[in-house]
Order: sequence, then structure tokens, then C-alpha cells
Amino acid sequence: MNTQNQNGYMLLFRGTELRKSLSPEEMQKVSEDWMAWFRRLTEEGKAVAGNPLEREGKIVSGKERVVSDGPFAESKEAIGGYFLLDVATMDEALAIAKKCPGLPYGICVEVRPVAGECPIGAEARTEAQFAQV
Amino acid sequence: MNTQNENGHMLLFSSNEWYKKLSHEELQKVISQAKAWFDRLNALGKVKGGQALARKGAILSGRNGRSVSDGPFAESKEAIGGYLLLEVETLEEAIEIARTNPALAYGASIEIRPVAEECPLNTWARESALQEQLANA
Repeated sequence: MNTQNQNGYMLLFRGTELRKSLSPEEMQKVSEDWMAWFRRLTEEGKAVAGNPLEREGKIVSGKERVVSDGPFAESKEAIGGYFLLDVATMDEALAIAKKCPGLPYGICVEVRPVAGECPIGAEARTEAQFAQV
Repeated sequence: MNTQNENGHMLLFSSNEWYKKLSHEELQKVISQAKAWFDRLNALGKVKGGQALARKGAILSGRNGRSVSDGPFAESKEAIGGYLLLEVETLEEAIEIARTNPALAYGASIEIRPVAEECPLNTWARESALQEQLANA
């Protein structure tokens, strides 16, 4: 199913902590390939933004607003960076994501359509409509 | 620890279904509080960008992304519902902003990460090469 989306797509790169599994030369190569990939996408107008994220971070949670250390950087789910894509379909976003140079080394790419509005708001409205019926 | 960062900081909002336990009125209230929170930050010039993400997407893994599965799962602790890119230089300021988010009162959680200057792989490659040189010197 090819879904369309005017708001674009986000790629979230997970499990990017590759230090234990790659040699410095391999890391250099992946890094260069990745930057070239991003540059190309930017030149084509398909990527509008992208950044790597520092490993150290924090988490704020709950009513008490407790601040704790960020997620375990070496987990397969830890987010290492993102791209924002200006493409109209999920198929196109997936085709781009498949070219990620980190994939052969075990990272995952999560592909998410950007929402026009917060899904929570949209769901609340839908539920309200049902409740009125 | 030097927490100064010209590249800004990113807030990642969990989608851990904290809102499912709320009454309709509470939900409407937190939605409008969250909107006001965002508008205020925006007016202060602290926002570089921010968006909500649709619930359903896909996860690719393996060479050429040959494995494509539905994702993320709502139950996953690591599922993200949206992000906010903040134009603030210190982690402390980013944390203080995150702490004022109205959804926290209802059990939400927010991850805060400094934006990196360069790809960490590049940094590590360089540092490893340097260490090797020092070891061989």
C-alpha cells in the first residue's frame, strides 16, 4: 500500500552505536558514505534536515518531572540521528531509507510519516464524535 | 561535563500511551495546554522545528533494508510520538524547558539529546586512529 503524505517523512536511525563492531577504517568509510548520502539527498531536495545526536542525554518523566540519565546508548533502539524527508509517498521514503550505509552493520531505520496534527488530538476528536452519536 | 552546544538540543516525546487513561475533558485540557506551551516557546524564538509523527510507520533492517516490518509498536518503551528541536545552547536549559511540558503531569516522558556537531562514527574513527598512533609511537 503506497500511502501519501503532504507533510513528509522522518527517518530515525536506531542502534547506531557501532564502535564495538567496526574497525576505525570501517567507521570512517560508513561515516563518509553516510554524509555523501545525506548531501546527495539534500541536493535533490529530498532531505530538508538531518542531524546526528550526541550519545549522552537525559530523560524527564512523570508528574514529579524526575530527570534521569538518557537511554542506554548501546541499545539497538537508541536513536543516533534523524533525517527529515520532503517526499510524498511512503514508498519513496522507504526506497531512500534502504540506501542507509549503516544497514549492513546492524542499524535499523524507522520510517514515520509526519503528522499534520498531533495524533492524540485527532483521536480525541474522533472519539468525541462517536460519543455524540 | 561541558554541556554547551551551539547545535541545539532535541526533545523526543514518548508515545507510551500515557493519555489513554485520561477522561475526555482531561485530554482536551492537556491538548490545549500543550499547544500553548509550544506557541509560547515558539514566540520566545526557542523552536527550530517540531512535528508530531503518525503512529504507524515501518522499520527497515538488514542489508539493503531487505527486512521491512510494521513499526513502531505502541507498547515499545522507545516509541516516539514527536520531536521538538530547540534553539538552546545548554542541556540544562533544554531540560528546564522539557520539565514544563504539560503532558508530564499525566505520565509522559521526554528524552533530551544534544545535537551532535559531526557524525559520531567520524569522531570515533578519528579518536581510534589517534589512539593507535599514540600506541605505536
